[in-house]
Amino acid sequence: MAHDRSALDDLFSLAYEELRRLARRVRTEGDGDTLNPTVLVHEAWIRMSASPELGSLSRVHFKRVAARAMRQVLVDAARRRNAGKRGGGASFVTFDEGLGAADGSVHDLLALDRALDELARMSPRQASLVEARFFGGMEMREVAESLEVSEATAQRDWRAARAWLSGQLGGKG
Amino acid sequence: MSGPPDPRRWERVQALFHELASLPESERDRVLRERVPGDPILRGEVRDLLAGDARAWPLLDEGLAPVAERILASSPVDRLEGERFGPYRIVSFLGEGGMGTVYRVTRDDLGSEAALKLLRDAAFSPARRARFLAEQRTLARLRHPGIAHLLDAGTLADGTPWFVMELVEGTPLDVHLRTAEPGFEARLDLFRGIAEAVRHAHGHAVIHRDLKPSNILVRADGTVKLIDFGIAKLLWEDGEPGGTADLTRTGLAPLTPAHAAPEQLRGEAVGIHTDVYGLGLLLYQILVGEPPFDLAGRTSAEAVRILSETEPPRPSGVANQASGGSGTAVRGVSRAQWADLDVLCQVAMHPDPGRRYPSAEAMLRDVDHLLAGEPLEARPDTLTYRAGKFARRNRGTLAVAGVALLLLVALSAGYAHSLIAARDTALAEAARAERIQQFTLGLFRGTDPDFAPAKDLRVIDLLARGVQEAHALEADPGLQAGIYLALGEIHRQLGELGQASELLEAALSLRERRWGLSHPEVAEARVALGLLREAQAELDEAEAFARSGLDVARATLPPGHPALGRTLAALGHVLEARGQYDEALLLVEEAVELHRAAGAASPELASGLGQLSNLHFYLGHYLVADSVSREALGLHRQLYGPGHPAAAGDLINLGAIQFELGDAVEAEVLFREALAIQEPWYGRRHPAVAANLTMIGRALVRQERLDEAREVLLEAELLARTGLGERHPRVASALNELGLVAQLKGEWAEASDHFRRVVDLYAHLYPDGHYYLGVARSNLAGTLQAGGDPRGAEALFREALEIYRAFLPPGHQLEGIAWIRLGGALLAQSRPGEAEEALLRGRGILASQGASPAWVARADEQLEKIGTAVGSTGDPQAGEMR
Repeated sequence: MAHDRSALDDLFSLAYEELRRLARRVRTEGDGDTLNPTVLVHEAWIRMSASPELGSLSRVHFKRVAARAMRQVLVDAARRRNAGKRGGGASFVTFDEGLGAADGSVHDLLALDRALDELARMSPRQASLVEARFFGGMEMREVAESLEVSEATAQRDWRAARAWLSGQLGGKG
Repeated sequence: MSGPPDPRRWERVQALFHELASLPESERDRVLRERVPGDPILRGEVRDLLAGDARAWPLLDEGLAPVAERILASSPVDRLEGERFGPYRIVSFLGEGGMGTVYRVTRDDLGSEAALKLLRDAAFSPARRARFLAEQRTLARLRHPGIAHLLDAGTLADGTPWFVMELVEGTPLDVHLRTAEPGFEARLDLFRGIAEAVRHAHGHAVIHRDLKPSNILVRADGTVKLIDFGIAKLLWEDGEPGGTADLTRTGLAPLTPAHAAPEQLRGEAVGIHTDVYGLGLLLYQILVGEPPFDLAGRTSAEAVRILSETEPPRPSGVANQASGGSGTAVRGVSRAQWADLDVLCQVAMHPDPGRRYPSAEAMLRDVDHLLAGEPLEARPDTLTYRAGKFARRNRGTLAVAGVALLLLVALSAGYAHSLIAARDTALAEAARAERIQQFTLGLFRGTDPDFAPAKDLRVIDLLARGVQEAHALEADPGLQAGIYLALGEIHRQLGELGQASELLEAALSLRERRWGLSHPEVAEARVALGLLREAQAELDEAEAFARSGLDVARATLPPGHPALGRTLAALGHVLEARGQYDEALLLVEEAVELHRAAGAASPELASGLGQLSNLHFYLGHYLVADSVSREALGLHRQLYGPGHPAAAGDLINLGAIQFELGDAVEAEVLFREALAIQEPWYGRRHPAVAANLTMIGRALVRQERLDEAREVLLEAELLARTGLGERHPRVASALNELGLVAQLKGEWAEASDHFRRVVDLYAHLYPDGHYYLGVARSNLAGTLQAGGDPRGAEALFREALEIYRAFLPPGHQLEGIAWIRLGGALLAQSRPGEAEEALLRGRGILASQGASPAWVARADEQLEKIGTAVGSTGDPQAGEMR
């Protein structure tokens, strides 16, 4: 049990670092590429799939982990941005949950992050599904496979989860 | 959001939503009122959902790209310029790599420049943090002109760790070779410099594992510096012409496929032989100007095949071809020298690690022989001899040693704080711990913890090799003892208790010989033996070792030392196993106070609180256990973030406490909260999930939500069976609850099937006489009785009673209940005399303790049927009087 956790933690870390590096590369070399998380996750898989550290991990499994890492990369970046705006110094995580006049994207993303946590408390499966679709760009078929449900079930779950999130977050906009 | 999250309510809302969404809009309201006449709030939630469904929502519908673009667009990295870290001020950004971000810094007071590395979002991943600190500790102890050394280290208020190292101005080796085109002797000097730095690292049991030209800088004076993997390649990336065969930019720390030894690619153990391979590769490149294998675009499987099946390359052939053209290969090398260089490279890069040079030292000696014109120690004809001399390495893919890895991380975790708090005093100790960790990690590197059970034979083989290698460390008994200790603890974790015992005893005797009887290291070894004896169920000896360890620790360590805390916790653990909860509580409380006094939130404090909570739980102090668990939860969240399994563990404890307090609804909420953490972390098919599902099942049973309980428990049983094996306590506990569900539903046949399997399982799992065997029989008997087989029930109750009377303290509650149940079985067989005797005995036991009033009432009821009047207060002596 415990050892699986450490392995997952390692895999998550690798994915996290790789995604950050890819994002940074796009940003600095910036030849018109957009920072599309789906593309980043896919590219991370291509780069990491040859690595012995991944073992025989399936692509779908990797993408789910990477989707989670992508979410964290974005949330961390958003929080840092927020902290920066608030005059936060070298201490990176001095962010405040109350978002005042933060920029719209940062606000949207952090609100979505919190709403997903909330959704996870009602239905972990639906939260995973949204995470995999939204942050990992996974196809419904892949998500269904990795969650071990039928595609129809995944579709239903998605629709209800989207409706709920939209109700929670979209109403103001 | 409306109210606390409620999975059941959410199911309901969704079902209604799907039903209504399929209807024409005009009919929805009518149908909704029909379906939910009495709950306007619920209707409101369904309407919200329908409205959300109809609304276009750019964020989710158009994808993340625009949001990501805006959030990531301005690099926060750049904003750090001018920030201060201790006496250092950031000048510019240098690079971002696998394990952190690097900046150029200056020291204002001295005006000197240095490189600062920091790990962002460190709180988020314990593994990243552990690796970062490991690198820091490695650097802390390496002091060699060929290695960039550590200058300072610290932690920001938010827990972000940083360290400062020597800033190396230089050119990467490959660029240097291309641009400076050094002569033969200058090239061999470069190689010597690298090999000596590597030898120094090996002398401290550090294996670099990622030797490659971009990690080696050549300074203006021609000397070389080894810089660590991860950052280094990015520091210099900008100045490096992008060769197509250069895979360094995959950035998958800590391994770079193009420079990996075949055993690394195969996922086998890594050791000194791996760096010897790396040195061979470097020598080849230094001579030829190019790497020997073109692995561009290969998958790791293809690369393994190429490296394993191809002869180690001869630099002479390539260099001589190249010398005609415009290559960067060395010139002016005699034929005899080329012959020796071929041998040097081939021996160093042999696909079989056992046939390489045994050390960097041995390879260096041959370089000296070559320069002096003397015969080499390694000749091709000695390769066979070598093969016999060094045991052939295991070529098969090695499996798992995750438990061991985790343990090693735990072993070293305690050092992170002391290094920063009191760097100089802690250095020596940290260095030792790190050497041991590196040594043992070297055994396991590349193994994949995701597969196979921990007790895999191949892991044991691996450990056996580690033990063998440790035997050879006689020159450094201190290190040897440390490795015996680490390996012994791993064996204990793997359940190889005999071997663990030998190793730990050897560690203790080495340390006693070295330090005498009163030394913290001796205390540490005694405590380790104490924990082992506990696992071996030798509780007297366990306690003796742990106590003497604590006595020595108290006498030799300053109060408040973290090692003292660990010792207290260990004795607490042994006493907990003995059931001596009161004393265990005092010790663990002391350990907790000690860690608390250290100030910062530490993993040790969190785990101490977990232990404390368990003790209070066993002692029945549920409210205290609750508040301690909450503190542990807060700490784990602070240390690892809210979504970490450590927090899930605390939530499960809190749930168990609520369950015992009788609040099954709250217990369920807590268990489900834990599940929401575990599931995304582990996936659904995981034993930890199975255990939690069983708890949820129990909570549902208690709430009499039997159908839901059955569904959850069936899944738990399946998960436990597939994940842990047919015969595991978790399977049994899920089956037991399933039996209870069936019994409550009056499905006697099914209930007795489940309970019968529990009886069988326990017979395999627990030693004869364990009271669980009695409980299982008693449960089965209950269903037989209810299903109309009082004779079968009677036999089982009697077996259970026999077990309780032999192995539990006299007058135990379980015995009392069993007597009363036996009475019922006898009554059903119309044997009122015997029934009366059994009922009175059981009643006497329970009533005297004021325990289980429901069973006392049951006994009274049945006694009344028999016609024996018993006063409502009962006679406490009734049991004994009979």
